Amino acid sequence: MNLDWLDAFLISGLFSVVVIVGLGLLLHLQLGLTRIANFGVVGFFGIGMYSFGVLFTKVDWPFGDFWAFLISLAFGTFVAGLSGLLVGWLIADLDEDGVLVGTLGFATAVAILATTEDGLTGGARGLGGLRFPYDVGSVKADEFLWLIIVSIVVALILLYVWWVHRTPYGRLLIGIGGNEPLARSLGKPAFRAKLWLFAVGSAGMGLLGALFGVMERFLAPENLGIDVTLAAMVALVIGGTARAWGAVIGGFLVIGFFDIIVQSYLPFPREWYGQAIPNIKQIVFGAVLITVLLFRPLGILGDMRRDKLMRRVHGG
Amino acid sequence: MVDDTQVATVTRPQIQIQNAVKSFNGRVVVDIDNLTLGDHPIEGLIGPNGAGKTTLMRMIMHSTPLDSGTITLSNANGDRDVVISDLPTHWMAPHGVVKSNQVIMDFDKLTILDSMLLAVAKHRYEQPHRILAEKSVYDANVARIHEYMEFFDLGDPYRFAGSAGEKKLLDIIRCLLLDPKFLLLDEPTAGLPEDLTEKVMETIRDLAAAGTSVVVVEHDLNVIWNLSDDVHFMAEGNVVMHGSPQEIRENKTVIEKYLGEGHV
Ligand SMILES: Nc1ncnc2c1ncn2[C@@H]1O[C@H](COP(=O)(O)OP(=O)(O)O)[C@@H](O)[C@H]1O
Ligand SMILES: [Mg+2]
Repeated sequence: MNLDWLDAFLISGLFSVVVIVGLGLLLHLQLGLTRIANFGVVGFFGIGMYSFGVLFTKVDWPFGDFWAFLISLAFGTFVAGLSGLLVGWLIADLDEDGVLVGTLGFATAVAILATTEDGLTGGARGLGGLRFPYDVGSVKADEFLWLIIVSIVVALILLYVWWVHRTPYGRLLIGIGGNEPLARSLGKPAFRAKLWLFAVGSAGMGLLGALFGVMERFLAPENLGIDVTLAAMVALVIGGTARAWGAVIGGFLVIGFFDIIVQSYLPFPREWYGQAIPNIKQIVFGAVLITVLLFRPLGILGDMRRDKLMRRVHGG
Repeated sequence: MVDDTQVATVTRPQIQIQNAVKSFNGRVVVDIDNLTLGDHPIEGLIGPNGAGKTTLMRMIMHSTPLDSGTITLSNANGDRDVVISDLPTHWMAPHGVVKSNQVIMDFDKLTILDSMLLAVAKHRYEQPHRILAEKSVYDANVARIHEYMEFFDLGDPYRFAGSAGEKKLLDIIRCLLLDPKFLLLDEPTAGLPEDLTEKVMETIRDLAAAGTSVVVVEHDLNVIWNLSDDVHFMAEGNVVMHGSPQEIRENKTVIEKYLGEGHV
């Protein structure tokens, strides 16, 4: 395959956009529908990444790479889901402040564990030895194929999230988010529903973390900073928390703009790339976020429109 | 068969409240030694503002936890008694105990139809993996929902409830859709226009005739005198007396504490 037309920066830029969009979509179920502000996204992402990486690289697998890879991936997803169940149980009955502190604290704990448990994770030195489950000739081709595979995964997440709006499950989440005491009085087990929402959402975030780790080939605690959570949140809030497409629009606009156009194609002086650009990025993120919240609080796509949607769904 | 119908007309679902206490910030708001609700098809619960009527109903639903005491539901059709004060709120509806709210409670992102479908949907359809369940839920319930929509003249179901009265009505309809065995109504007609008040009363009568026990809190005493078979009078956190509407209406204490001379 001739990939000369394709810039390596473009592949990695698009890859981070796609991963952030995926995280934003899962966050949409929690924040957009159920009104739970999960500030621990990167914690679940990291648990998936490291559980996958550690199992894949530390175990002497008796069979081929491909199966070892799939089993490790399933393991990472499962462990992240389990951690989601646990965190969900801790925070499901807390108020907004409690949820903020609980989820943020969880993500911090994950980053600390990744650093201190260096027997398993390699600590601050990092964990090497990850590789693609295939070899199609060149590093660039391998990465490009991985971008396509992960894009398909995220497209499936989008399809699911989009579809949830058209199910009784989506209605339950919106109901709990809108008025939890009323939902309970109608017989809805809000606590249990939030628990499963966290389990499923976190499993998805963990899967994305593992897929991300493969592209990096090298796991380091730097990957577990709050900026991952913030990127997913900013993308979602700017695109529209209440709409399935919100994270996609926001992700491509904000993260895409930065990671691809500004980072790679604008003629900044070379010495800016170490410190200045990441800082400028945070400032502009903040500024864009504040501007959108001021002028269009529900994001570019605006509020959900159940009146139109349900009429279409029921064929009315 | 004959025996069964006789039993059903004699015993109704009842709620027993024993030694139930609730205080807010050290002030006792409800303190009831022994009270049985549901001896009659429709019972009124009246009393001055702040007497604790809403709090008592919320205690029954366990949306306000009790400081102490027990609340038991006994069913008409031979089911075992259930200590509902041990159960979380979301178990009340499955046991048939349902309450409408005095203050407006609504889901602002859900349409009228959505809100009703949420009320009727069985929880097994509301799981993350049940991605094809919408049709089953819709098909199974749309006829009933449309019946209520038409009876209460609600118009287009694919819109959001607008006025306060409409939201209040929707709250009551959601309760009806849950097929209550024991229905608690906290000022159901406050904020409703007269024609809708009539229709709500008519529905409540039908429901009670079909075997549901109903308890109504109302400020509009005409509704109480019209609707109820028995009236409980509550003051300062306790039910101080009960009797037929006629008896309560003419009782001296009630007149002094609540009605005032002008009302009689
Ligand atoms: N959540 C609460 N916190 C503090 N006080 C409350 C609360 N709910 C009710 N109260 C008090 O309890 C008393 C009874 O209120 P309520 O049950 O609403 O009376 P009613 O419905 O008979 O008018 C009132 O004095 C009210 O101020
Ligand atoms: Mg009240």
